Amino acid sequence: MNLLNYVPGNSFLHRLNPITKLAAAFLYGIACILCDSIWMELAFIVLMIAICAAAGLGTRALRLTRNLLILGLFMFVLQLFFVRTGEALVTIGHFVLITTGGLTSALLLSLRVVATMLPLMLLFAITPMNDLCNALVKKAHLPYRYAFIITTAFRFVPLFSTEFHEIQDAQKARGVDFETKNILRKMQLVAPLCVPLLVSSLEKVNSSAISAEMRGFHLRSRQSGYKEYPFTGSDLLVFVLLLALVAFSAVFL
Amino acid sequence: MIRFEHVSFGYPHGETTIEDLSFHIKKGDFIALIGANGAGKSTVSRLCNGLLRPLSGHIYLDGQDTLTTPTSLLARKVGFLFQNPDRQICENTVEAEIAFSMKVQGWPDDEIRKRVATALETFDLKGDWFPFNRSRGERQRIALAGVLACEPQLLILDEPTTGLDYLECIHIMDHIRMLNEEKNITVLMVSHDMELVQDYAKRVLVLRDGKLLGDGPVKEIMKQEALLRQARVLPAQIPSLALAFGDRFAEVFTIREMHEAILSEKKGDPGRKL
Repeated sequence: MNLLNYVPGNSFLHRLNPITKLAAAFLYGIACILCDSIWMELAFIVLMIAICAAAGLGTRALRLTRNLLILGLFMFVLQLFFVRTGEALVTIGHFVLITTGGLTSALLLSLRVVATMLPLMLLFAITPMNDLCNALVKKAHLPYRYAFIITTAFRFVPLFSTEFHEIQDAQKARGVDFETKNILRKMQLVAPLCVPLLVSSLEKVNSSAISAEMRGFHLRSRQSGYKEYPFTGSDLLVFVLLLALVAFSAVFL
Repeated sequence: MIRFEHVSFGYPHGETTIEDLSFHIKKGDFIALIGANGAGKSTVSRLCNGLLRPLSGHIYLDGQDTLTTPTSLLARKVGFLFQNPDRQICENTVEAEIAFSMKVQGWPDDEIRKRVATALETFDLKGDWFPFNRSRGERQRIALAGVLACEPQLLILDEPTTGLDYLECIHIMDHIRMLNEEKNITVLMVSHDMELVQDYAKRVLVLRDGKLLGDGPVKEIMKQEALLRQARVLPAQIPSLALAFGDRFAEVFTIREMHEAILSEKKGDPGRKL
């Protein structure tokens, strides 16, 4: 399952204006960054999962949290050994391996990464990419070509992944042993695949650009979209709540 | 050479499925795999070299089960030419590109040098060319040269002539036929081009929805219009025309044969209308 796909639905989260969703995700992230308490970071993660569960996206939120925790673990290990403040916690002979400062800082940072990333990742589950970009063009007056770059980048990810697998198959058929368990050897084998992938990507980009130009890409402006993205009362409510959350986090946590 | 025994296969997203497919290809045969889009032709060709593995049943390549043999080992026996040469080409010079497979498979250096030189000459290529900015036909020739340099025992061609001009296509196919006849290399070709199938293949496997609809010598299959229609394949033009002329033209498959048949008809009865 692709964890960045749009999940169709009609929950209160889905019905918000795309701009509100984007801003809310960022504000939630800012609140998490401003917060300095391990317990409150945990509370932020649980709250986000609860909000998603209420919108019918509980499983998606849990899976994303699990994946982000793996990234968090990486940060945790780095911080644990590199932050040397506080008292010694684990020592080997005279060498201090882990300090209390290292442990708190590692926990805080890894949880903060998860808490900040989670709403941004979930944004994709409740907002179709096209809606987000059209709303940005219409309401935030983002030039269409930049919005187009964003949607295209996302649309090309699965294409590139298919292409990469096809290229890998072609190389397997020539005797390259990708089934090796040795990670270094595997990286060495994957490097040459970048050349055909780059060549095919450039070709694809070129033909996409030509076909967009043929269909009047340069004529497209803010007025071109037929769909309107009005702000409603619930959008205002979400804005106010999130701003309050940021203020609360900045002042008290 | 290769034996399919009750092979079934399905993609995770439930696209083409192969159902209980069994056939046997002898060494030195020239097989064409035909069928409509989505009939499972490419899937069957990828099952042959272990790029895909059967969900049930077995495929034996020279007695080796593809389920238990890695693709990289099967690659020593099976050469696979993809429809799009750009997926295959990954080196900066034609020379290095042709040598790539042999290097990966651990051939001795002097043997590689010898074979690269032969391949460059056979396919009319220059060793120092940058492969990516050559024409489509040249890139296909480069890819084929790389595959053939290893002298595979089984050569799989997945729509080998797509995007090639007619002369380029004939050039490549004639070379493959020569290898098939003189070096006894088994060829399995996936193609939509019935004229090509009829001109080069010896035996035809007809697929529809992952099932084997027909299997027989090319001349027999090309005359079975009902079977081809069922497989949603447009028959080759000359045999189709010959069929329309009736039984007297039963042995007509090529333009030359058609010409001769018409001339002899005329000789027998100059006033006769066809």
